[in-house]
Amino acid sequence: MSASDDAPSDDTRDDLALVATGIAKVYGATCALRSARLALRRGRVHALLGENGAGKSTLVKILVGAVTPDAGHIALAGAPVAFGSVTQAIRAGIVPIYQHLSLFPELSIHENLSAFALAAGGGLWTGRRLVDPARARGWLKEVGLDVDLAAPLGSLSLGERQLVEVARALSLDCRVLVLDEPTAALNADEADRLFAVVRRLCASGTAALFISHRFDEIEALADEVTVLRDGRTVIDAAPIGRHSREELTHAMLGAGVEAAPARLSERAAPVLVGRGLAAGRHGRGSLDVIVHAGEIVGLAGLIGSGALSLAATLGGAQAGPGELSVGDASFMPGDRRRAAALGIAYVPADRHAEGLFGALSARRNASVSGLGRLARLGWLRARAEAQMVDPLLRRLKLHPALPEAEAATFSGGNQQKLLIARGLAVPGLKAMVLLEPTRGVDVAARGVIHDAIREAAASGVAVLVATSDLDELMVLAHRYLVVREGTLAAELPRSAPRAALLAALSGSAAA
Amino acid sequence: MMAKRLPGTSRPLRLSRPPAVALVCLGLFLLCCAFVPRFATFGNIENVLRVASILCVVACGQAVVILLGGIEFSFGASAALASVVTVMALPVLGPVGGLATGGASVIAIGAVNGFLVGRLALPPVIVTLGTLMMASGAAAWLVGGLPIDAPPSAAFSWPARGRVLGVPVPILAALLACAALHLMLAHGRIGRLWYHVGANPVAARLAGLDVTRITTLGYAVAGAFCAVGAIILTSRVASGQPALAPNLPFETIAACAIGGLPLSGGRGRVSQVVFGVLTVAMLNNAVVLINLPVAWQLVLLGLAVLAAVGLQKDWAVLARLARRTDR
Ligand SMILES: Nc1ncnc2c1ncn2[C@@H]1O[C@H](COP(=O)(O)OP(=O)(O)OP(=O)(O)O)[C@@H](O)[C@H]1O
Ligand SMILES: [Mg+2]
Repeated sequence: MSASDDAPSDDTRDDLALVATGIAKVYGATCALRSARLALRRGRVHALLGENGAGKSTLVKILVGAVTPDAGHIALAGAPVAFGSVTQAIRAGIVPIYQHLSLFPELSIHENLSAFALAAGGGLWTGRRLVDPARARGWLKEVGLDVDLAAPLGSLSLGERQLVEVARALSLDCRVLVLDEPTAALNADEADRLFAVVRRLCASGTAALFISHRFDEIEALADEVTVLRDGRTVIDAAPIGRHSREELTHAMLGAGVEAAPARLSERAAPVLVGRGLAAGRHGRGSLDVIVHAGEIVGLAGLIGSGALSLAATLGGAQAGPGELSVGDASFMPGDRRRAAALGIAYVPADRHAEGLFGALSARRNASVSGLGRLARLGWLRARAEAQMVDPLLRRLKLHPALPEAEAATFSGGNQQKLLIARGLAVPGLKAMVLLEPTRGVDVAARGVIHDAIREAAASGVAVLVATSDLDELMVLAHRYLVVREGTLAAELPRSAPRAALLAALSGSAAA
Repeated sequence: MMAKRLPGTSRPLRLSRPPAVALVCLGLFLLCCAFVPRFATFGNIENVLRVASILCVVACGQAVVILLGGIEFSFGASAALASVVTVMALPVLGPVGGLATGGASVIAIGAVNGFLVGRLALPPVIVTLGTLMMASGAAAWLVGGLPIDAPPSAAFSWPARGRVLGVPVPILAALLACAALHLMLAHGRIGRLWYHVGANPVAARLAGLDVTRITTLGYAVAGAFCAVGAIILTSRVASGQPALAPNLPFETIAACAIGGLPLSGGRGRVSQVVFGVLTVAMLNNAVVLINLPVAWQLVLLGLAVLAAVGLQKDWAVLARLARRTDR
């Protein structure tokens, strides 16, 4: 970055890859975008910031042709464009990398890499269905993947699959790479790898649009930033570093976030007890975990360490060796039904696959674990249902505040709030097991969710949080359990410094 | 600001908006009135409703299965088996006992389907195709291939030809079936659970629901709806027929699809089923009245299903139309 740092408000600059102006989109009663402007420059990574429901994903969907805007203009390298479909946008060089991966896990990596070539036509009837293996290998090398072309995609980790998706983008003349919260499901290493690839692509003239709620990532990767608030662009392509985090947060929310005074609740008797558990498929059932009433235990571990798997087991979601109990009642790992009946809330890590009922209303999503209490002689009492979950939705600031709207129409962060509300609404709540509880959630909502978790703990609930977000762990947990290679490698007190935690995670030095 | 207050506890009473298929159904009705000879006569309309009513009862069952994200192919065969069982049981159990036995056999097949899909997690298409073949084979074997007649009796013919307060029994049965399904779906706990399992079975399990039981119960309830339809059908033909209603599963699936239930599950209302059924029944009736070969019924039905599913995929247009009337 040098002289070009000065604000590029002039749409005629010739290094502009894509300019979208005056974009508006209305869904029924909700205005997703009012007047958004976005200008991406070649060779730059552009961060798009905004609170949950600000319209970021909607803007992205419009850019990649998945949604038609109600108003506005898009120009690609100076020429106006209007895409009718994602295929058209991709052909024009705007390539989306999805969080929910648009790849085919049953097919080989080679076939996945050839998908665009096949979609472009011609390939089906000619003998050459797949792209030249040498070229395919070249793309994989460029994204830093060393894998067998013939291996099924499903054998790769989520992070590696995302890199395959980026590699596939290379098969086209990719002019704009669009990444909507690509790191939400990645660990730090995988994210770093993705960033390196994005930077390399940009160095060769591609423009990248990057959406994230994590300032660390944005500062590490982006050159410029645009902030959306309530469907409008409020900061337009400012160089990173011109605005402080506080200023950006203020621009996003229209207000600052005051750091809540984190009061620690008192730890009391053991509530959630697991004995002889295994972390991950290869673990030997030998782990004991005890979570006390009023306590928030932070479970930390790198991806593949088995931390998430151990947490899922404790929530009753995953079968395995060992035995679990809450209070006096015991249950088997994997018996999620009984766990829920005993008052254990569980928030899964994969929101779409394991959590959300997209076709059902927000209220129904939140109330599902409490239906037993709402029914009388098999008859659901609608009023009691609203009384049970609406206050929770209000408290978590669900936006838009429409409990009867379908869950699928809410923004990613607001969908996450529905899962948290579901957990808080479990009747006779005794323990909460939360996997990545604030994934995809903005700073303000993150604070609200953290407060709700702390409050639950303060009222005597035993809480276990498993997250790859170290900051989250450090503000929430009373003590940390570190999982490494399927074993409980360390237990650290709240006072442990970050460095000690990092060391325990990677197993480098003795903590 | 767009943010609205949460409605909280006081909710204004309001009628839900009619499904998009209502427009299609109305359009077809007007078309038939205008262009199909003898369509708009009292006798014919009653006839359409009578045919529609059997379809409607069974389609209610199909809707439950589709809501669960499954599909039921065994309905026609189990209805045929029911007719055979009924007629064979007649001499021993009398007309009421015979019909009840026939109905019970349909529910049993439904429960078996439910067990196989819910407990053993087998794919619904395969399971219900399997029971279709078994029920069909069993029915043919029991009667030795040829239909057997039932001795005429008033009680036996009541389900098809009786009237209560002037209303034909099949139409009454359809109304009751719709009311029952509506209560289950809109207010019952079990209906809500079906929606959850259909919308996302994994999430349903992790939310603490007993997915196995909910699914099994759903298929059994679907079987119960089909049993009512089978009893009416058997009474109407007054015989045990191994090939009683081979198109029943297709017609009911078509009715649900035309009504706008996505086959992926988790969505759907009774009104959609009703309008879907009426559309199918009118199509079938029109084919007969125009003097097209009856085989055309299936061709038209197939076209209608393709059109409906095509529209659904791109139904933003219809949804927008409907929303305009909403606010
Ligand atoms: N299909 C839809 N129907 C109705 N409303 C929608 C639909 N899609 C999006 N919205 C609404 O548009 C607004 C913007 O949503 P969008 O997904 O763009 O937010 P976002 O900025 O990506 O938020 P997040 O950070 O939570 O992902 C939200 O209020 C959302 O409820
Ligand atoms: Mg989003």
